[in-house]
Amino acid sequence: MNDFLRNVCVVIVATMFLLPANRADGQDLTDPAGAAAEAARVAHKVPTGPAPRLADGRPDFSGIWGSDLHFIFDISDALKKGEKLPIQPWALKLAKERPSKDDPEANCLPTGVPRLAPYPWTILQNRNYTYILFEGNIHSYRQIFMDGRKHSPDPNPTWYGESIGKYEGDTLVIDTVGFNDKFWFDFAGHPHTEKLHTIERYRRPDLGHLEWETTIDDPGAYTKPFTLYGHSTLQTDTDLMEYICQENNQDVNHITGKDSRNSLSK
Amino acid sequence: MRSKISRLLPGLLLAAALPVLAHHSFSAEYDADKPVTLKGTVTKVEWTNPHARFYVDVKDASGNVINWNLELASPNGLMRQGWTRHSLKVGDVVSVTGAMAKDGSNMANARTVILTDGRKVFAGTSGDGGPTQ
Repeated sequence: MNDFLRNVCVVIVATMFLLPANRADGQDLTDPAGAAAEAARVAHKVPTGPAPRLADGRPDFSGIWGSDLHFIFDISDALKKGEKLPIQPWALKLAKERPSKDDPEANCLPTGVPRLAPYPWTILQNRNYTYILFEGNIHSYRQIFMDGRKHSPDPNPTWYGESIGKYEGDTLVIDTVGFNDKFWFDFAGHPHTEKLHTIERYRRPDLGHLEWETTIDDPGAYTKPFTLYGHSTLQTDTDLMEYICQENNQDVNHITGKDSRNSLSK
Repeated sequence: MRSKISRLLPGLLLAAALPVLAHHSFSAEYDADKPVTLKGTVTKVEWTNPHARFYVDVKDASGNVINWNLELASPNGLMRQGWTRHSLKVGDVVSVTGAMAKDGSNMANARTVILTDGRKVFAGTSGDGGPTQ
C-alpha cells in the first residue's frame, strides 16, 4: 500500500472513532450526512508543524493518538506489501480454528503487543519510565523502563510483557520479552508463544503524525522475524475517556462464528 | 490534486462501506445480510461499556410483545460524534434498522434509529450508518 492509500485509511479510521463532542447536548440529531461531512472535516484537522521536544531535547511523543486499522482485523495488513506472515503450520491451524468468542479482546482482556483496539491511546514520558495509556480494551497501560536496566533473567509471563526502552536519536525503541501466550494478535486469531520478543521503534516525524515499526520474533510460532508498520494521527479534539469493558459485555454470549475480514477467510 | 482527492476521499468512502469496529468481531456476532427493521417503544437505555444498548418492545405478527436488545457503539464513540446519554429516552417510539444477531436471539446491532418526529438518533456513525466501536 502506498503512502497515499495508507494515509487515506488512517484518516478513515480516525474519522470513524475520533470525533469531537462539539454539538450541544441533544441538538442537531437530524443530519447524518452532516455528521459524515463533519467527520471528514475533523479527520483532516491533523495539525502541522515540527514535532515537539521535551525540555531535555528528547522527542516528545505526547498527545492523543488514533488507532490503526491494520492492527485490528489481521496483522498481515500491517506487513510490507507483498509479504506474508511466516507462520508455522501449527500456529496457522490454531488461528483458523479459534472461534471469535474466545478472543481475549472480546472478553475484555488486554490486546498485548502489537495489537491495537479501535480506541485512542497516548504516550507519557518521564525520566525513568514511559507509559502507554489505552482508552480501550482494556482501559490499561504499558510500563516501559527507561532507567537503563536489562531484562530480568526469567520475567513472569504477562499480557504486556517486560519492556525496556531507550532513545536512538529521535527514535524511541522499546524491547519487550516476558509475554504470556494468552492474547491474540488480531481478530483473525494469529497466535504466539511465550518466546515472543518484540522491538518497537516509534518516530514522530512531525507534530501530527506518529509512525512505528514493530519487529515480531517468536521462534515458537513463526519461522522468522517479521516487521509490522503502524501510523497514527494526532487527535486534537478529544481526550481519553473512561472505558470499562467489563461493565456490560454481553457480546461473547452471542458470538457464534469466526471473523470474516482477515486473510484466513479469503 | 492529490491533496484535493485526499480531502474528498474520506467523505466518499464514508458513504460507501466501512467496517464496523468494536472490541469484538462484528461479523462473528451479527449478520450484515440479515437486516431487520423494528418499530416499538424504548423500555431501557444502558449508557454502558463496551457498548451502549437500548431495549425496545416490539409487537410481532401475532400481537405478542417482544423486547429487543439493540447494540450501539461505545458511549465514548457516540459522544465523540455528538450524541449523549439523553439522545434517546425511555418511552421514545422508534424505528430501528440494524443487523440481526447470528445466534437467533432477539438482538441486533442498531444502524439507524428514527424517532416519530423524523429525527435520526445515533445515525451517521459510519458510512453504513452503523456503530464504529
